[in-house]
Amino acid sequence: MIIAKDIHKKFDQRTILNGVDLTIDTGKITCLIGPSGSGKTTLLRALALLEYPDSGIVSVDGQEYNFPKAAETEINPPWPHVSVVFQSLFLWPHLTLRQNILLPAKRRGLPDVHARLEELIRFFEMRDFIDNYPNEASRGQQQRVALARALMLKPKYLLLDEITSALDVEQVAKVLEYLQGVRDQGIGVFVITHLLGFARRAADQVVFLNEGKIEEVGGPEILTTPKSPRLQQFVKLIEAAS
Amino acid sequence: MSVIDILINYHTGFLEGLLVTLELYAVIVVSGILLGGLLGVFAAEDPILRYISQGMAFFLGAVPTLVFLFWLHYPAQAVFEIVIDPFYTAALTLSIVNIFAISELVRQAIQGFPQQFLIAGRVTGLRTKDIVLKIQLPMLFRQLLPALLITQVTMLHSTLFASLISVEEIFRVAQRINAQIYKPVEIYTALGVFFLIVCLPINLLAYHLKQRFTRDFSER
Repeated sequence: MIIAKDIHKKFDQRTILNGVDLTIDTGKITCLIGPSGSGKTTLLRALALLEYPDSGIVSVDGQEYNFPKAAETEINPPWPHVSVVFQSLFLWPHLTLRQNILLPAKRRGLPDVHARLEELIRFFEMRDFIDNYPNEASRGQQQRVALARALMLKPKYLLLDEITSALDVEQVAKVLEYLQGVRDQGIGVFVITHLLGFARRAADQVVFLNEGKIEEVGGPEILTTPKSPRLQQFVKLIEAAS
Repeated sequence: MSVIDILINYHTGFLEGLLVTLELYAVIVVSGILLGGLLGVFAAEDPILRYISQGMAFFLGAVPTLVFLFWLHYPAQAVFEIVIDPFYTAALTLSIVNIFAISELVRQAIQGFPQQFLIAGRVTGLRTKDIVLKIQLPMLFRQLLPALLITQVTMLHSTLFASLISVEEIFRVAQRINAQIYKPVEIYTALGVFFLIVCLPINLLAYHLKQRFTRDFSER
């Protein structure tokens, strides 16, 4: 379980996260929604310890990271136990898609990497393009490879930053299907998304972040019957726009 | 007398000049790549070295190489009251130009390197050594190589300036032959053929590498 307690973060004088408490369970999909500038990506980066919070605690399966950290404390981040896929996928352009997936696993000396890769090729239907270079693959294909690269190392948690943002409807449906498969493998999935339909269908937990604070948390039903006025307004705006 | 006749009749002189040109070029390329590469790497981290590298690149970009060569050759000899072999002055001057040109290429490539490719390596559990060797260096190498090759072709052309301070390189040999037989078109065409043979493949390689490697950064 990833637990965030009272997370605060400022950039310059601007408060980005203002006392966030959050729990991410294994085997569940948590969707984080919220308006632009509400601190979604900063929260994801804080949970992955890519960006240290100014104060608060991040706990990953009992391993606590306290902030502000003492000067002499060495942080040993929980990667790739907690893995991240970014909005821009950052596949390494000089390697084929196959090599992109294999490199981290091989360097970590994991056993049976080729068998594991075969499983992922089947799961993500990548057979036809796995030996291409990233620039020869479509956005949807790159997305699958980025997910496979993260999953190759058997993470317990997968944090995804708006990975559906550049996809068409059909590709979003496919990603949804894959993520449900990932969840069924017992992996905790945390997704930032602006697609309410995606959150309704995929999420076990929906978190609404506004101005650096969590305004509402619950099952996907909070998107149908939101309690907080800000979430009501947000849902209305998004639905009107789509 | 045709170009071929000139090449046949004066091949000894041309070969001697060519040897001097290649010696000069070797010094410029080796010092440029080693010292310029190192300076670029350190300048990417150190602000003082960055100012030096940037400042010198601006300065050398504004001052014609020929003027810089004359500055270092004649006034230096007058000030120190010594006679300096013009080969050394030419080697030093052109090496300085090359060192700062390469340093800026390397510095800009390192500073402009997209950090997210490295973060993607960290979150997949790669060690720093693996990130540098397997991701950063190959990507930087691909990005730098075309520009580096083109810079080195320009430096080869710049060796011609050495003739103006009496270095007996290939252009000076061509000038001497021309003084004897006065066939400027044929003689300088012969010289042009030499440069074409050496430079064209390098330019084509640089173009090919640029086409091949720059597309790599795109994400759809």
